[in-house]
Amino acid sequence: MTDQNENFESLMRQSLAGDQRAYAILLQKTSRLLRPFLAKRLSFGNEVDDLMQEILVSIHKARHTYDGNRPFKPWVYAIATFRLQDFLRSHYSDHLRHAVDFDELEETLPENVTVSELNYESISVEVQKLPEKQATILQLMHQEGYTAKEVAEKMGMKESAVKVAAHRAYKVLRNKLEQ
Amino acid sequence: MDSIDELVARLAQDATAVKPVPHPFLLSLKLIAATTIYLIASLTFSGLRPDWVEKLHSLWFDAEIAALVGIFCVTSLSAALLGFPDQYQKRKMVLAPIWLFILFLLVLILALRADSPAAQLPVHSFQCTLSITLMALVPATWTFYAMRKFASTHSRLAGCVALLSAFSVGALWLRLHEATDSLVHVIEWHYLPMLVIGIVGLWLGKWLLKW
Repeated sequence: MTDQNENFESLMRQSLAGDQRAYAILLQKTSRLLRPFLAKRLSFGNEVDDLMQEILVSIHKARHTYDGNRPFKPWVYAIATFRLQDFLRSHYSDHLRHAVDFDELEETLPENVTVSELNYESISVEVQKLPEKQATILQLMHQEGYTAKEVAEKMGMKESAVKVAAHRAYKVLRNKLEQ
Repeated sequence: MDSIDELVARLAQDATAVKPVPHPFLLSLKLIAATTIYLIASLTFSGLRPDWVEKLHSLWFDAEIAALVGIFCVTSLSAALLGFPDQYQKRKMVLAPIWLFILFLLVLILALRADSPAAQLPVHSFQCTLSITLMALVPATWTFYAMRKFASTHSRLAGCVALLSAFSVGALWLRLHEATDSLVHVIEWHYLPMLVIGIVGLWLGKWLLKW
């Protein structure tokens, strides 16, 4: 760890003296150092790359504020954190700017999707229009609360025939109500 | 990744030898020296208060002036440190002005308690704040000018501290120039405006110290 720190610092000292090769190595090492730091805090890979570029440019602009007499990493992390905060601030302010107000959304909705045209009366009318046997079965099962077995006993039918009749009645009703 | 490699290559090509900025202690010493010369020149031009010899024998007046000088020196040092992205890794020193302001407040409270019977209020009021602000313009300008050459990552705080440093010079000048004994007036029109100046500094720092 100490060797790595010394590397960073000596590379920076060489860079300040005008060594372009040392500077390129330093920037590459710095980008590798900062990538996990940024990836942990940002969701997308392209965001990490964009921000990394900004940070490298900032390091370049601020390199005169590093004199090689103190650890390099706190200096570089201070710049990275500063740019990250800037990035997140503008990112969230953009989100807020493009957010739709809930009241506006209510006005632009085509219709009220929570109100149904169907009600008890309209269904009852349609049930009365069904063949007599089917209408009686639905009435007994859904208004008076009998089970299919009880309805079968009451009407002198087999239970399976009651279920089939009820099923056909539902199908007819569904078609009519969907129209 | 390719774009990063390209950028690295481009930045490396641009890199020439760079002279690092001076140590923040040296920078703050330069600021303090320049401001002291400015203060002495201003006092020579405007004149010291007529009762200055007598006032220098007053314990609470001396304590107040010493605390103001302390605020000026410590805020100058803090401003110099705040110019560096990592505050030269001396965060405790950056926050040192807080302790000086607490000490200053304590001195004012004790001086106020000792001021019995209270001195008569002068007839003027906001003119003092205005004079201090005008006097502070020059040090504020050069402090901001110096700090813009750096790369502050705490631009708001840096702006606030820089402006407080300049305002303390103005307050020091007026306290040594104006023969006012009323502490109530001094607190109300000399020192309380420091709060407003601090807020203005936060705003100015954001705009002027952007990089």
